[in-house]
Amino acid sequence: MNIDPFLLWLESTALSQWVVGSPSLLAFPGILSLHAIGMGFAVGICLALDLRILGVAPGVQIAHMRRFVPVVWLGFWLNAISGVLLVIGYPTKALTNPVFYLKLLLIAAGLGLFVRIGRRVFTDAGDAAADSVFVRHLAIASLVCWTGAIAAGRLLAYTYTRLTALD
Amino acid sequence: MLRELQVWLVGSIVAHSPVAEMMQTAWAWPIVESIHFLGLCLLIGCIGTFDLRLLGVAKRIPIAAMHRLVPWGLLGFGINVASGLLFVLTEPDQYIYNSSFHLKLLFVAVAGLNASLFYLTSYRRVFGANTPLDAPLRAKVIAAISLTAWVGVIVCGRLITFYRPGPCDPAEYSVLLDCQPRRAR
Repeated sequence: MNIDPFLLWLESTALSQWVVGSPSLLAFPGILSLHAIGMGFAVGICLALDLRILGVAPGVQIAHMRRFVPVVWLGFWLNAISGVLLVIGYPTKALTNPVFYLKLLLIAAGLGLFVRIGRRVFTDAGDAAADSVFVRHLAIASLVCWTGAIAAGRLLAYTYTRLTALD
Repeated sequence: MLRELQVWLVGSIVAHSPVAEMMQTAWAWPIVESIHFLGLCLLIGCIGTFDLRLLGVAKRIPIAAMHRLVPWGLLGFGINVASGLLFVLTEPDQYIYNSSFHLKLLFVAVAGLNASLFYLTSYRRVFGANTPLDAPLRAKVIAAISLTAWVGVIVCGRLITFYRPGPCDPAEYSVLLDCQPRRAR
């Protein structure tokens, strides 16, 4: 399937040209910054929860960490929106690179694990549940997925083959 | 004074950098960047959440228990000092003459001083025997400054690439060099 006409159209839109071409710090640099902030909070809290399940900070009742869940989703939505804007800015660069789809897959897996872990540990019996080998394995898988998602994201700047639809 | 120090630093690093060759291999730079981003997440996930706890999120978690996560945040910070040094030791001029990098270091310093202030002024009250669930106002102010400073560090770090230093003549020097002097003294 040739998506070039779609990419050409997207790159011709005013929004795409603002993201890429505007000299304003709020355009491309600002969107990148928001993407990094959202990552820090969303992934950071997931990592902290994984560490807690793996035995760090045993005095923290895991069920009480539930209060940080909205911060994870806030970070996630910040990154979904800023991420879509970055793709609108450089659609060809992202959508023609297999690493981009690997990144999306790893993020989906990381979020799926976060939800599954949450269902087990954000309950009154949370600390007992976190003691199970299965939940510990989920936490390790979560650490792996987020590490992979971050690495895939970084690699996007190095592995693209076309920058715009005209390349 | 500072400008001479910058020029001397860049010159010495270029002349003696022990890591430049390793960092210039194909995958080294993106791998170290990934590690730097992971360190960022660890820092925010463990120190940022402690700040949020002081500000009143998840009040049922005892502050002292939550504080057990902080060493992991410091580990993230250590990872980022080490990985960040690899960048600076490879392309010193791109950082030492970069105003976004200067501001980033300033935010790191603010975060560090602010954290010491916490341990000097609020530590005993927050971790004492009859620890209240609600942190005292002073600790909340410190937590808010901490969060702001770390977000500032992230933003300035992300903006470094947009402030790559261009060439300049000695007459254009300000207090700190934010451009590549054409002739290093």
